[in-house]
Amino acid sequence: MEDTLFKLLDYGIYGTAVLVILVGLYGALVKRSLLKIVISLSVIDSGINLLLVAIGYLKGGTAPIFSPGYLENPKVMVDPIPQALVLTAIVIGFGVTAVALSLVIRLYRHHHTLHIDEIKNLKW
Amino acid sequence: MVGTPVLFVAIPLLAAFLIPLFGMIWKESVRILPGIVLAYLLVLAINLMNYVMVNGPIVEVIAGWAPPLGINLIFSPFSGFLVTLMVFLGLIVWIYSYRFKRNVDFEPAKKYFILLMMLITGSVGMVLTGDIFNLFVFIEITSISAYALTAFYTGRNSAEASFKYLMHGSLASAFLLIAIMIIYSQLGTLNMADIGSKMHLMKPAFKISAIILLFTALGIEAEIFPLNGWAPDAYAEAPGPVGAAFAGIVVKAAIYASIRVIYTLFDLSGAYDLLIIIGMITLIIAETAAIRQEKLKRMLAYSSIGQMGLVMVAFGIGTEEGVFAALFLMFNHAIIKSLLFLSGSYLVYNSKDKLIKEVNGIGKFLPITSFLFVLGAFAIVGLPPFAGFWSKLSVLSAAADSNMLLIIALVLIVSIIEIVYYMRVVNRIYFFKKDETVSSQRPTFNALIAMLTLGAIVLIVGFYPDAITGFLHRASADLMDKAGYINDVLTLN
Repeated sequence: MEDTLFKLLDYGIYGTAVLVILVGLYGALVKRSLLKIVISLSVIDSGINLLLVAIGYLKGGTAPIFSPGYLENPKVMVDPIPQALVLTAIVIGFGVTAVALSLVIRLYRHHHTLHIDEIKNLKW
Repeated sequence: MVGTPVLFVAIPLLAAFLIPLFGMIWKESVRILPGIVLAYLLVLAINLMNYVMVNGPIVEVIAGWAPPLGINLIFSPFSGFLVTLMVFLGLIVWIYSYRFKRNVDFEPAKKYFILLMMLITGSVGMVLTGDIFNLFVFIEITSISAYALTAFYTGRNSAEASFKYLMHGSLASAFLLIAIMIIYSQLGTLNMADIGSKMHLMKPAFKISAIILLFTALGIEAEIFPLNGWAPDAYAEAPGPVGAAFAGIVVKAAIYASIRVIYTLFDLSGAYDLLIIIGMITLIIAETAAIRQEKLKRMLAYSSIGQMGLVMVAFGIGTEEGVFAALFLMFNHAIIKSLLFLSGSYLVYNSKDKLIKEVNGIGKFLPITSFLFVLGAFAIVGLPPFAGFWSKLSVLSAAADSNMLLIIALVLIVSIIEIVYYMRVVNRIYFFKKDETVSSQRPTFNALIAMLTLGAIVLIVGFYPDAITGFLHRASADLMDKAGYINDVLTLN
C-alpha cells in the first residue's frame, strides 16, 4: 500500500513538472502580451527545476549534509548534484528574467503598448 | 608553460567586474583595461598553443576534484585554436571600438566594455570547458551579455531585436537544461569525456530525446536554419563591432559546442548525413534570403547564416579532411565577416535605415574603408587570391574524396548567388553616382588599424595558406580522436 503510494507520488512529481513545463511553453508561444511571455519563460524554468530536484530524490533519503551524528546512524542521502544544479539554474533564470523585464520596459516606452502584434518594426 | 587555461576565464571575468571600480579613479582606464587584458590573453593563447602543438592537450582540474567528479578545462589543439581566434577577434573589436564612441559618454562606454568582456569570458569558457553543465552556464553568460549588447543603442529598434533574441535564447537554454538532466539521470555524470565513454549504456529512447534537445538548443545559438529567426535582427540592430563579435566569437563557440556534442558525446558516425541535410537547407535558404535584403547589415547577417550552413556541411562529410575544411571555413569566416561588419558599419554610418542603396559612389569618399569592404566581399565569395578561396576549395575536395558530388554542385550554385549579392554592393560603391543627401563618416585611426589588420590577414592567408594549415590539421586530427580525448581527461589523477 505504502509502496504504491510512493510510486504514485513519484509519477505525480514527474507529471507535475512536465505539466508545468508545457504550461510555460504554451504561454510563451500563444500569449500576445510581453509580460505574459516573460512570466511563461520563468514558469518553464520552474518546471525544469522541479524535474531536476525530482531526479535526485531518493525514497527516505536525508539532506546531503555530513552532520555529527551521521556515522552512528547512517542513512541514505539524496543526490546533492541536482540540487547544486538547480541553485545555479535559479540564479541564471533570475538574471534572464531581469534582462527580459528591462527590455519590456524599453519596448513599452518606445511603443506605448505591450501587445506583441503592434510591435513589429522588424520582420517577425 | 607560462600560464594555465583557467586564466582565459578568470582574467576577463575579473576585468569585467574591475572596470567600474577603475572607472571611478580614472575614466580612461575603462577603455584601456580591456585592451591590456585581451593583449595578455592573446600572448598567453599563442604560447599555450605552441606548447600544446608539441606536448599534447593540457587538462586543467578546477578546485582539486579529479575529472569524473570535478570540472575540468581542456586546452587541446582544437579548442586552443578557437580560443586563440576568439581572443584575437576580441582584441580587434576592442581596437576598433576604442574611439568608436568618441562622442559617447563615460557611462555607455563603461557598460559596453563590461559586456564585451563578459561575452568573451562566456565564449572562451564554452570552448574550454569539459563539463556539460559548465557549458550551460557559459552559454548563459554569453547569451545574457549578447542580449544586452544587442540592445545597446536606445535610438534604434534594438530592444525589439534583443527581446526576440532573448525569447529564442531562453527556450534554447530550457531545452539544453532538460537534455543535460536526461543525460545525468541515465549516466550519473556531467563530465563530457565520461559521458562519451559511457554513451553506449544509455537506452536509445533517452539517447534520441537528448540528441534532439541538445541539437535544437545549440542550433538556436549557432543560427542553424529553422532556428535562426533571431540572427538577422540582432546583427542588424546591434552596433557594428558587436555584429563582428557575434559572427566571429559567439557563433563560433556555439558551433564548437554542437560539434563537440555530435562527435564526442554521442558518437553519431552513421548519422552525419543529418548535418549535411540541415547545413544544405541552411545554406540555400540563407543565401536566397540574402539576395532580397535591402539593408546592408541584414544582408551580411544572412550571409553569415549561410556560411554556418556550409560549416555544418563540411563537418557532416565526416572525414578528417571534412573537419579540416570546416575549421578552415570557421577561421576564414571569423576574419572576413568581422572585416565586412567593421567596414560595412562605416559605409552606412550616418544613414538611418542602413540601406544598401545608400552606399552609392562612396568609394571616392572613403577609399580605404571601401577597398577593405570589397576585399572582404571578394574573399568571402571565394575568389582565388584571397583567403576564402582555399577554404571553399578544401570543402569541395573533401566532398570529392568522399564521392559526395551533389554537395559540390550545390555549393558551387550557392556561390554564384553569393557573388550576385556581394557584387551588387561593390557595383554600387564604385560605379554609381553619389547621393548628395547622404553624408559619409571618416573612420577613426583605431578603426582603420583594426580593419587593416584583418585585411592583411585575409591577404596573407590567401597567398600563403600554409601559415595556418599546420594548426588546422592538428586541430582536426584532435577532434576526430575521440578515444584520445576521453583518455586525456579520465586518466588524470
